[in-house]
Amino acid sequence: MMQSNTPNTHLPSSSLEVRPIVSVRQVSMIFQTGTVALKNANLEIAQGEFISLIGPSGCGKTTLLRLLADLIKPTSGTIQIGGKNPEEARKSRAYGYVFQAPTLMEWRTVLSNVMLPLEVMNFPASERKARAEKMLTLVGLEKFARHYPWQLSGGMQQRVSIARALAFDPQLLFMDEPFGALDEITRENLNLELLRLWRETGKTIIFVTHSIPEAVFLSTRIVVMTPRPGKIETVIPVDLPQPRTFETRELPEFFQIATEVREALRRGHGYEVTE
Amino acid sequence: MTRISPHLGPMLVVALITLALYWPLMYLANIPAAQRALDTGAALPCKTAFECATQLRSPVLPSPQQLWNGFRNLMFPLNSQSAIPLNALVTALETIVGLLLAALVGFFFAIGMVASRAFERSLLPWIVASQTVPIIAIAPMLVVVLGQYGVQGWLPKAIIAAYIAFFPIAIGVAKGLKSPDPLSLDLMKTYNASNWQTYLKLRFPASIPYLFTAFKVAMTAALIGAIVAEISTISFQGIGKMLAENSRASDVVAMWVIMLSSAVLGILLVALVNWLERLLTPWQRVRTAATPLPKQARVSERGGAG
Amino acid sequence: MVAQPTKSAWNQALLGWVLLVVGFGILFWFIASWWNQTEPASGPQKLLIGAGFLLAALGIAWVANQFVNTPNPVIGFTPAALTLLVVVVTAEALLRAYQVPPGLIPTPSRVLSTFFAVRDVLLQDAFQTVVLEALVGYLIGCGLGVFTALLVSRYVFLERGLLPYATVFSSIPIVALAPVLVKMVGIDWQSKAVIVAITVFFPVVVNTFRGLSEVSPLSLDLMRSYAAGEVQQYRWLRLPNALPFIFNALKLGTTLAMIGAIVGEFFGANGQGLGFRIQIEAGRFGFDIVWSAIIVASLIGIAWYNLVAWLERRLTGWHVSFR
Repeated sequence: MMQSNTPNTHLPSSSLEVRPIVSVRQVSMIFQTGTVALKNANLEIAQGEFISLIGPSGCGKTTLLRLLADLIKPTSGTIQIGGKNPEEARKSRAYGYVFQAPTLMEWRTVLSNVMLPLEVMNFPASERKARAEKMLTLVGLEKFARHYPWQLSGGMQQRVSIARALAFDPQLLFMDEPFGALDEITRENLNLELLRLWRETGKTIIFVTHSIPEAVFLSTRIVVMTPRPGKIETVIPVDLPQPRTFETRELPEFFQIATEVREALRRGHGYEVTE
Repeated sequence: MTRISPHLGPMLVVALITLALYWPLMYLANIPAAQRALDTGAALPCKTAFECATQLRSPVLPSPQQLWNGFRNLMFPLNSQSAIPLNALVTALETIVGLLLAALVGFFFAIGMVASRAFERSLLPWIVASQTVPIIAIAPMLVVVLGQYGVQGWLPKAIIAAYIAFFPIAIGVAKGLKSPDPLSLDLMKTYNASNWQTYLKLRFPASIPYLFTAFKVAMTAALIGAIVAEISTISFQGIGKMLAENSRASDVVAMWVIMLSSAVLGILLVALVNWLERLLTPWQRVRTAATPLPKQARVSERGGAG
Repeated sequence: MVAQPTKSAWNQALLGWVLLVVGFGILFWFIASWWNQTEPASGPQKLLIGAGFLLAALGIAWVANQFVNTPNPVIGFTPAALTLLVVVVTAEALLRAYQVPPGLIPTPSRVLSTFFAVRDVLLQDAFQTVVLEALVGYLIGCGLGVFTALLVSRYVFLERGLLPYATVFSSIPIVALAPVLVKMVGIDWQSKAVIVAITVFFPVVVNTFRGLSEVSPLSLDLMRSYAAGEVQQYRWLRLPNALPFIFNALKLGTTLAMIGAIVGEFFGANGQGLGFRIQIEAGRFGFDIVWSAIIVASLIGIAWYNLVAWLERRLTGWHVSFR
């Protein structure tokens, strides 16, 4: 069902390590209602990769991400994050999580929203502001530090929430359809910006989406998932040249890979339930 | 530059119409009574029913002149024991102390209900039921019982005000503590935040707007509680005491003046809550403000993150 | 993702029931043994009551965990019913242990027997207070309120000139209105009906107006595309949209009506009514009757509220809050 990956030649060779930072073995998740959200998933992710999980609703992509983040516990199987189990990884604050919605706290200004994780994690007071300001500069919102979230557009709010996830410098970034609620134009801009962030920070990113072009444009590998029961259909490497630009979308290889993803989805009857 | 509210003109027109209608209404209501008084031969400094309508001792509707005189008599001197300002102040303090007491207890109950489903299951039905019950009925008894155990003066009134204000506050705060969406709670979990941190950084701030909404309802309720408590017992100060006194003495004009003053008191107390709300929840103030935002801030047509 | 009840959870619930039974046993045993006593209980006996209460409370806490996820409302009510029972029984035991004079705080059992003894008087009082004063005033106030809201939503001038007053008026303490109105209208039930009508009027206006005006612009466009007239717009869009708001005000109004009627009677009544009874008996230390009157008022208040809530479910079952 899924090719187990050994060191991967499609990756930007600089940031490769032999030991995977995320490893998922035979993981299943069955909810109390009896729904099989995920069945026998296997996946290994190396340091510095940009992995997209793609599939229609109900294919278990968000479930897989939540399992990695220890927001839920698997029914069976083992997960390792940087050599630790997910709970230990969460407790050592190994990852930042970006949700579908910005989930900014409306009573905090943009700057103090980015400072939130630093407060919770007891960073010294002197360091918090400097770090938060640096992160805001990274996402290009330093001018809006004193604004309240509602004064920002949806795209800007989501950029704040990315800055917040990066504020405590985790190795991993989990992103659950972060741009799903945004319009296509904003989304393409944010995609470019996200790639820049990824290059500059060297993080490992796991990105959930249901947009094929977005997945192809962003990823080093695409994990195609299909529903009923949720499972990993196949993993498709993306060896488009880096750094990617607006022109990348015009390349014939881009369409080739998009077609490959589309066919994989069709094989798993993934289109039946798409909106 | 402040813009004039579009409400102001129509509000003034309505107020003027009401005032203009008051005169004929007042005559219409008072002339029969004046006629009766003249027929029975009461000593009145007037001859026709029309003249007497503005000078009755117990008018159905007092004339503006009478109200003005009554107002002057009851307002001054400001520090007099029998004038309205001092008594209104006492009632206001009882109400506010009661409200704060209620907020304190309400918070503990709300935390209990949010933290433990068992606690909620055991108590919430009664808290909800008590909101549909005329709790005010307990006030007269509570005052007498508290008095028997030596709790006297303004304190029992504050306790009754608190008792009446407690329920809306507890429910409001519980709602507020539960208001953060599941994603925000997940976010705190990804930070491995402790329970205490989740309350401090997420649940408490999220509950503040709900607290103020509850305060606005509870403030009026607490004021009613304080006044009823003053009426139902021997009081030496307070709006309720003045009401009871003048009700016994059948001084209708004074009752009208006290009624209008306590209406103003109620409005002022709620205005106080509104003012505090604006002061303490700046993130909402900017949202509801009608003034245009600075140029660079106007980047969004979206309503907000909430 | 709810944890399945494990064996230890069952054991805990069982222990809870045992504690509950033991706690109640102690309390009841004490009440039975102290039924005809006239002296205060000794220190250890008072401690025993405290222990009984704590055991029962702890028992409820553990038992309640079992009911946390019960969908059935009647069974889910068990912990709340037990809580009330514990409080009442403990009050009975404590009042007997300290021999508090019944003129000050009557025991629950005494209240219950008084309740049956004076039930005819209380029923008459309730008729006067609830049916004549509260209900008549409520119907008038709600009717006028909805009518006013319709006018206000139709004419922008009224919205701007009248609505701000309605909002302000709802923060006025109604007690202050009561004496004036009683003087003006007389001490019979009509004066209280007027007080009730005024109290319920303002929240009904404010809420109904919100429901009538907070219609989605898209729905309005839809009605316009049907070339619907003004009346049709109200009939098919605005009024249905306002129903949940109206019912919120109607539910709130039931409580306000009871309070208005009772408080109104504090300022003058014709010798009947629950508020009058409470005022008079509190003054002469007849607290068993006061409590009985409060129980009657509470039961009627709850029943009335639930009647309106039932109507609401029948008429607005489509609304989100019932899904």
